[in-house]
Amino acid sequence: MLRSERAGGKTLEIRHLNTSFFTMKGEARVVNDVSLDVYPGRITGIVGESGCGKSMTARSVMGLVKYPGKVVGGEILLGGVDMAALSEKERCALRGSEISMIFQEPMTSLNPLMKVGRQVEETIRIHEKVTRAEARERTEAMFTQVGISDAGQRMECYPHQLSGGLRQRVMIAMAMILKPKLLIADEPTTALDVTVEAQILRLMRSLCDSGTSILLISHNLGVIAQVCDYVYVMYAGRVVEQADTFTLFDHPVHPYTKGLLKAASSIRSDAARLDTIPGVVPDLLHLPPGCSFSPRCEQCMEQCVKEVPDMTFAGAQDGPAGLSAHLVRCFLAGVPPKGDGI
Amino acid sequence: MKLPNRSRQIAEEFEKRQQEQENKQQESKQQANREYLKNQIAEEETFFTLIRRLARENKLAVVSFFVILLIILGAVLAPILAPYSFSDMDLLHRLNPPGAQHLLGTDEAGRDILTRLLYGARVSLLTGVVPTVMSMVIGAILGVISGSYGGWLDALIMRLADIMLAFPSMLLAMVIMYMLGDGLINVFLTLALVNWASVARIVRAQALQLKKTEYVEAARVIGVSRTKIMFRHLLPNCLPTLIVLFTLNVPSAILTESSLSFLGLGLQPPAASWGLMVNAGRQYLYMAPWVSLVPGAAIMVCVLAFNFLGDGLRDVLDPHLRK
Amino acid sequence: MLRNILIRLLQAVLVLLGAALLVFIMLRIIPGNPAAVLMGEHADTAVIEKMTKELGLDQPVHVQLIHYLAGALRGDFGTSYSLGKPVSQLMASAFSNTLILALMASAFAWLVGIISGIIAAVKKNSILDHLFMGVSLLGVSMPVFMAAMVLQFFFSYKLKIFPIAGTQSFAGFILPAVALGWNSAGSVARLVRSTLLEILEEDYIDTARAKGRRQMGVLILHAMRNAMLPVITMMAIQLSGMLSGAVLTETIFSINGIGRLAVQAITGRDIPLLQGTVLFSAALVILGNFLADSLYHVLDPRIRKEA
Repeated sequence: MLRSERAGGKTLEIRHLNTSFFTMKGEARVVNDVSLDVYPGRITGIVGESGCGKSMTARSVMGLVKYPGKVVGGEILLGGVDMAALSEKERCALRGSEISMIFQEPMTSLNPLMKVGRQVEETIRIHEKVTRAEARERTEAMFTQVGISDAGQRMECYPHQLSGGLRQRVMIAMAMILKPKLLIADEPTTALDVTVEAQILRLMRSLCDSGTSILLISHNLGVIAQVCDYVYVMYAGRVVEQADTFTLFDHPVHPYTKGLLKAASSIRSDAARLDTIPGVVPDLLHLPPGCSFSPRCEQCMEQCVKEVPDMTFAGAQDGPAGLSAHLVRCFLAGVPPKGDGI
Repeated sequence: MKLPNRSRQIAEEFEKRQQEQENKQQESKQQANREYLKNQIAEEETFFTLIRRLARENKLAVVSFFVILLIILGAVLAPILAPYSFSDMDLLHRLNPPGAQHLLGTDEAGRDILTRLLYGARVSLLTGVVPTVMSMVIGAILGVISGSYGGWLDALIMRLADIMLAFPSMLLAMVIMYMLGDGLINVFLTLALVNWASVARIVRAQALQLKKTEYVEAARVIGVSRTKIMFRHLLPNCLPTLIVLFTLNVPSAILTESSLSFLGLGLQPPAASWGLMVNAGRQYLYMAPWVSLVPGAAIMVCVLAFNFLGDGLRDVLDPHLRK
Repeated sequence: MLRNILIRLLQAVLVLLGAALLVFIMLRIIPGNPAAVLMGEHADTAVIEKMTKELGLDQPVHVQLIHYLAGALRGDFGTSYSLGKPVSQLMASAFSNTLILALMASAFAWLVGIISGIIAAVKKNSILDHLFMGVSLLGVSMPVFMAAMVLQFFFSYKLKIFPIAGTQSFAGFILPAVALGWNSAGSVARLVRSTLLEILEEDYIDTARAKGRRQMGVLILHAMRNAMLPVITMMAIQLSGMLSGAVLTETIFSINGIGRLAVQAITGRDIPLLQGTVLFSAALVILGNFLADSLYHVLDPRIRKEA
């Protein structure tokens, strides 16, 4: 199969991505054989506890993995081009123009010594030969588009003069200014309060509707449920379940996903006892030989301890409306669900 | 009937309140005590584990520690270790290069440089340690007073410190030396006067921070006197900082002394400090470079060792001091 | 912001006044009549008395102080006892030498310090990093006179590249500048490295990279720009320190600068000259601190607004 054929219709196609941290104590596989698709015009979510590798997956795509981490294998196909195989120089040409990213902390993600307008203009001027005036004009238009009032005035502000929500809007403007094919949003609303969160999510939805695919990373199932079309659940560096949002929330199969949903719903319903998943995330340096969730799993079987389950179909082999099917990395997948929806 | 009843009620209530207040006070006192004890224990723990932590995190600091120990040993045991007499001249063997007979050569009067180096270590170490201790004591006390009293006293002390820090330290040392005249004691005084201000500033800043901590507040609430708070709570908690400052100020004192002596403004011969030796050998720099470069190197090694140790200690004890 | 600067300026002036007072007092405490010291042991009492009057030493101390301060404001620091010329004139001619030396030494220190600091930070834990940091610590720990003598020995005596001393030619300034700058280069390098390492971990560095900036661009436009804040403060303070006289370097290389003037004043028991040089130095240090402080406020928008 040709690459372009295989990437057919998908904005981003990650195949067998492996990213490791090489520490003094050994190799920690933070991203472990992750395969993932982002569909055009859709918001794809990655959900999981902190340290499950969701941020590292995003950073691997961007080529922003910090020392001592390293992408050790796999393909990251962006419109048929393998990002992982590019040189740093070639990757720089794509970053910001074809693919861009916003981060969790709008408070610290902007250069404190530069006016925010200049920081957005910078993105244009890195990739295109334009005059300052033109860059300014486009930036102002973008500011208005992402919902910043008084755009011209706000452009002259330094980051510390803006609220968290505004700063995140600036970050989005910066990321969207060159109309990238893909926007990666790493916990974009975690540091914001709930009302601002809703506004930002609405903004992201509208950006997505106007043609940019989004990969949204969050630990918050509420956020995922609100905006995502398709969701990947990650645990200890691996994708353990993937499905379109409705299927995932209605018919979760993996015990971990179920646990996550249960924990989330118990908070919402103000239950007397908070449901949590017992145990802790395994040490990535010493992963259990079998399923990484097996030490915490209530339905753990003998097989689970010995070998890592493959991704298997949990239901129909076709997903809805051009999306992937429901896949799960669990030996229980074949077993029919016992009405475990929420 | 009603009235006495009511008054009894009030009295009872008053008593109850008083009791409560007393209980509360007792409690906060106990709490402060516990806090204090806990702190004390934590302090001791760090002290015991300090060396181990240092050894794990910064091997260079440990090496430096032993280098310093070696220098101290050499200085103390100078009469035993020295191969020659301190002041015996041997005019037949002037400016001999390092060799088998004189390991580090001889100086312009034929004296053995190794011997003089060992004796010089005594003076140089003393001028490193004594004035530093003096300046630390002055600086710590003034700093903690400044920090805990505030107001005009704070302003006075801090402006005085500002004034002292306005002078380049070398020039200030020269002027004070000029004012006091020669002699070892005056060198000590000079170096102490030059260095106290920066110590006072740092201690003040730390005292201000500590003042806001809960256990100091608690101590104040239960009526511990200001002096007691200062010496029981603030100063002991500045100790890690002071230890680090000490290791970093000793080399700077040694450097200042050697610079003063080098200019002929510090100690006067026949005293032998390393700086004086460098100065004496300076005119023979081209004929016999070892005469001044050997003591110069000794100063460097000593200063380097103290700096390494100070750096290491700072990382372990007081990461906030890092600039 | 202007108000803030004015307040700090006022503080600086007060500190300077305090410094003047301190120097004045210190130099009056010295026992003995300076006039007597000046005239030598065997001078006639009448001659000494005449000299005392001439120098204004017979007046009460506070009158002397006011005279001195009033003169200093006009740029008149009295007449040097030992050299017989106005102190201000002596200092003016010395300052040009000190200025050249300080500027060259600073240029050396900043160039070497900043570049090696950046390299060490970017190649953290590499051989280069360890090498640079080792050398810089050596720089910080090496007494200036040691550096000066080693340089003199190798480059002037052995290799004969530079003159041993004196400032007849520009080349004469090179070794002193290196000897003087060596120390600051070490501390600048260490500061640049540690600040840069901290800043490279900041989120906005990721943002800049995510925009598509190459490594060099990120380093210069984003990381260095932020790392320069503390470095500039340190450099301003160092420069003012160097300008106020590099006593040792100037003495060793026989450069007629402010520092050497101060040494001459002490050996010649020349109180007006000593007073003048020390006060001048203090003024420079205070000015340097003030400028560094103000510069920080101008460069950092966060502080600018708070002020």
